[in-house]
Amino acid sequence: MFSFITKRLLSGILLLAVVTTGTFFIAHLAIGDPTPGLLGNSATPAQQAAMRAKIGVDRPLLTQFWDWLSHAVTGDFGTSWRTFTPVNDDLALRLPVTLSVVFFATVLSAIFGVIIGIACGLRPGSVFDRVLKFASVVLFALPGYWLGIVLVQLFALGLGWFDATGYVSPEISVGGWLRSITLPSVALALGAIVMIAEQLRNSFLEVNNQDFVRTLRARGLSKRRVTRHVLRNSAPAALTVLAMMFVGLLGGAIIVELVFNLQGIGILTQQSSQNGNIPVLLGLTVMTVVFVVVINLLLDLVLGWVNPKVRDR
Amino acid sequence: MTRTRTTALVAVAVAAATALAACTSAGSNNPGGSTGGGGGGAEITELKAGVFLDVTSWDPASADIGFDGPYLSAVYDPLVALDNEAKPIPALATKWEWSADRLTLSMDLRTGVTFDDGQKFDAAAAVANLKHLKAGVRSGQAYLNVTDVSAKDEDTVELKLSKRDDSLLYFMGLGRSWMASPAAIAADALAKGPVGSGPYKFVADKSAPQSQYVFTKKDNHWDSATYPFKDVQLLPIMDQTASFNAMQSGQLNAQFANAANLPKAKEAGWNISSKPSSWVGVQFADRTGAQVKALGDAKVRQAIAYAFDSAGILQAVGNGAGTATNQLWPVDGKVYDKSMDGKYQTNMDKAKQLLAEAGYAGGFSVKMPMSPIFQAWQPAANQTFGDLGIKVEWVDMAMPDYQKNAPTYPMFLAVIAMSGNDMATLSDQVTTAQWYNPNPSVDKFPEVKALVDEVEKAEPAAQTELLKKLNTKLVDLAWWDVWYQADNMYFSAKGIKVQPVTGMMFPTLRFIQRG
Repeated sequence: MFSFITKRLLSGILLLAVVTTGTFFIAHLAIGDPTPGLLGNSATPAQQAAMRAKIGVDRPLLTQFWDWLSHAVTGDFGTSWRTFTPVNDDLALRLPVTLSVVFFATVLSAIFGVIIGIACGLRPGSVFDRVLKFASVVLFALPGYWLGIVLVQLFALGLGWFDATGYVSPEISVGGWLRSITLPSVALALGAIVMIAEQLRNSFLEVNNQDFVRTLRARGLSKRRVTRHVLRNSAPAALTVLAMMFVGLLGGAIIVELVFNLQGIGILTQQSSQNGNIPVLLGLTVMTVVFVVVINLLLDLVLGWVNPKVRDR
Repeated sequence: MTRTRTTALVAVAVAAATALAACTSAGSNNPGGSTGGGGGGAEITELKAGVFLDVTSWDPASADIGFDGPYLSAVYDPLVALDNEAKPIPALATKWEWSADRLTLSMDLRTGVTFDDGQKFDAAAAVANLKHLKAGVRSGQAYLNVTDVSAKDEDTVELKLSKRDDSLLYFMGLGRSWMASPAAIAADALAKGPVGSGPYKFVADKSAPQSQYVFTKKDNHWDSATYPFKDVQLLPIMDQTASFNAMQSGQLNAQFANAANLPKAKEAGWNISSKPSSWVGVQFADRTGAQVKALGDAKVRQAIAYAFDSAGILQAVGNGAGTATNQLWPVDGKVYDKSMDGKYQTNMDKAKQLLAEAGYAGGFSVKMPMSPIFQAWQPAANQTFGDLGIKVEWVDMAMPDYQKNAPTYPMFLAVIAMSGNDMATLSDQVTTAQWYNPNPSVDKFPEVKALVDEVEKAEPAAQTELLKKLNTKLVDLAWWDVWYQADNMYFSAKGIKVQPVTGMMFPTLRFIQRG
């Protein structure tokens, strides 16, 4: 197990190094001179030069990279070129917003995806199964933006159950926090629920037809115990989808953030790109890659627990 | 069995949601409930405004005028403010006087004002601020003609100008004279948080930067009567749908509005206000024909003006929120001349005739920049230029690059903020080089130059009539191809009235009153 985790961590560190190095140079090459985005176009050449000196982009690119890297390994991602506050402060402000929504969406997806997936897997071709098929097509076709607006109209403006926009920190009010993240999480989760349910259902059917299941049934095991065996063997596919979904939502929650006015990392990424705020972009990149590595590691551990054969690969 | 469990699950989920709503509604900051707008019949004590953009900087020297006004006006006092007609009025400067040659401005300062860090506001503080503002990346533009600032005594400052500047006081009132603590300026601390003497105290622990800013009114501010609301929340909400939803749900009671939502706002019984804010059209950066010879011929520029269906574009792209006109002095101002709006009524035949007379019957080729913000107008531009035979090669770029690069193109699509002061319009849009007016080229047009000189030398009382003449001449020459003046629109709940100000994308707090 130790060697398994060590290997995964080393490959994660390598991934982190490659992605952040690539992002650093690509961002600098793509943005070029960040001062117009930061100062506007009324800045004089002297003011632009002063800003370049202040943020250190007047130095050779390799010097800048070494400076950034040597601080980044200590957890210091530098200072935002826009607000001149630590990048870590920006991330600490935005990350809980996106994480709250994405984590809640993942929990909803896991619970409902598994329940629906098993229900359909147990009764393929039933009305419920056909409804799932139809829902998969519809929910994949519906734009997230539209879905968010409909949820707001129905449950925030119509019924008044939830907040239409904004984020409430759980430190201020746990109830307020749940009210503020429920609709965006549901908007994110709806598509994921059917994706996981569909994946689990197909995997469930495939395993259900395998010889060992027939053997279990022939040995007279109860339907419940057989289902547990089938589920254990069909879970890896759905778990992989769930993990991929979490990472995907983390980077792709911007539409939902816009609809619900949640100041999360999606909007921060967009704003930083527009302003040419490279330190924040790099901080976001590192954070996202760390999440990818951690989620993949957790996935591997869970898969290994569900199916011990995986640990040996 | 499965069906029963599923039904039970759904019931549990709905019950949980209902319970959640019930148990948390008491903590909600939504006094208006789902009827929106908040407040109901009671006097509204808290302003919750959706401002569109986040504050650019708490340092007045680095802040934008556009959407920063409400934020900065909460925590800073200006030397000069504006009234509803955009005329400069006293604030921390209680009165002022120009020298006979209008090259020296003396200002008497209010006494007894202290900044939040205990520093005293006096002439020395005002000098430190004015020097800081003059050196500022964004604020410096207002003080281009100011050469020196000095304290004459403890409550008098004097500004020396190299050139007469009739728009200086207007720009100071617009948002270029916020006074900050001199100690915070010296420590370069303003970017991290405001230190002013304004009517409200910034409540940092209840605010979430970039998301929500909370302010509470000071008890003893010298101008307390101007600010009716005890508490103020300012929320930057870029997405217009989210902002409107927040307004409908009562999370906001005033907002920067989208004209597309006007029918629903009327239905909700909200207060609606609007005012011209930007001109939309084609900026001819190359009026002398240095890059594209054709554009140096007035007939070609006039042909383009005749070709565009301005009223149609205003309806189709601008939701009808504005006024189709070929002028860029505000349509509700004194320089604007309604009778001239018929000069370039859409007429493609006339446009082609003018092009032919100029020797460009077959059109010509030109490169123009394009960024996502301007894509809404691109189809109309493509069709019109195409009909005229003008072959446009669009060069795509991001918005910061657009502002950087557009000035290097012979002409470009423009959405440019307007000024509420007529002399500021002259300076901003005609005589001073800006990214959106990269080549003023006034000197190359003797008739224009003579009129500009006449206006700039005239007594203020005589300037309006002279500006009208200049406006007529510029329209005749198709100096720009203005399609329309777009309005900024604001919705507010009953009990709150937003007074728009041309020049401010969102008005400062003194313009948001009960009503």
